[in-house]
Amino acid sequence: MRSLRVLSAGAILVLGLAGTRALAQDVGAAEALMKKSGCLKCHSVSAKKEGPPFKETAAKYKGKPDAEAALVKHLTTNPKIKVDGKEELHDALKTKSEADVKNVVQYILTR
Amino acid sequence: MLARAWQWLTTKCQTCSRIRLGLGVALVALLVAGTLMAGGAAGLAWTNTEGFCIGCHEMRDNVYAEFKDTIHDKNRSGVRAVCSDCHVPREPLPMLQRKVRATFELWGHLVGAIDTKEKFEKHRYELAKRVWTRMKLTDSHECRNCHHAAAMDPDKQSEKAKARHAKGRAEGKTCIDCHFGIAHKEPDGPGPQELKLQ
Repeated sequence: MRSLRVLSAGAILVLGLAGTRALAQDVGAAEALMKKSGCLKCHSVSAKKEGPPFKETAAKYKGKPDAEAALVKHLTTNPKIKVDGKEELHDALKTKSEADVKNVVQYILTR
Repeated sequence: MLARAWQWLTTKCQTCSRIRLGLGVALVALLVAGTLMAGGAAGLAWTNTEGFCIGCHEMRDNVYAEFKDTIHDKNRSGVRAVCSDCHVPREPLPMLQRKVRATFELWGHLVGAIDTKEKFEKHRYELAKRVWTRMKLTDSHECRNCHHAAAMDPDKQSEKAKARHAKGRAEGKTCIDCHFGIAHKEPDGPGPQELKLQ
């Protein structure tokens, strides 16, 4: 019984460490994909550029259950957006991986 | 002609010892001044090298580590920008002024103002703000060391870039207003467009 407890504690510790590591890697991957896709030309984390800062987007969607789905759609379907009153197409993330898109969306929503 | 004059001074003109002494002193002063100037220029050039800039761990472990693999470090053409290309003016007088100001930054090194990751992060915004302010006041002078507005071909830019550049020019914006956080991490806080210059 005691050895079972030790084993469980060990497993939790290992899983916990692996989780922390995966999260750290995801931030780097999200930043790299955003850089590759040119997101940072118009957006920044907290400062003013042509597009809204990620912090503003995170605040806008805070507590909304459809936040992830809405942002995934925004970042993959080239929707029409208005910049200075003129319509243009929003660029999509340069990846075909759904997991990578969701990783970027989570990065934005957690700023 | 000069040789003759020198011969006359040293042989015929016996009363010219003062002139000879004066000329000798002038020659030595000229040599010393020349050596100092050449040494100073070499020293200044040395302080503009990447090796000098990352000689202290504050720069090497923070801003330089972030700079690695960015577009200004590694790219398709292999043309690199080192620290001084973006942070030091190339013209002699402004360069000297920048160097004098930089000597005050040595104090920060001596007292360990940013000698740990935590201290650096605490000061990141303030440091970035200082650089942004300087660049806004000089119309991003150091960007223009390499990027010349007149040489930019709009036909080779994307439609979005073309429109943004035209808008930026019309609004009197400068490079750093939009192109920040590209060589180093973006600090948390208002960006260059929101800075109020005095």
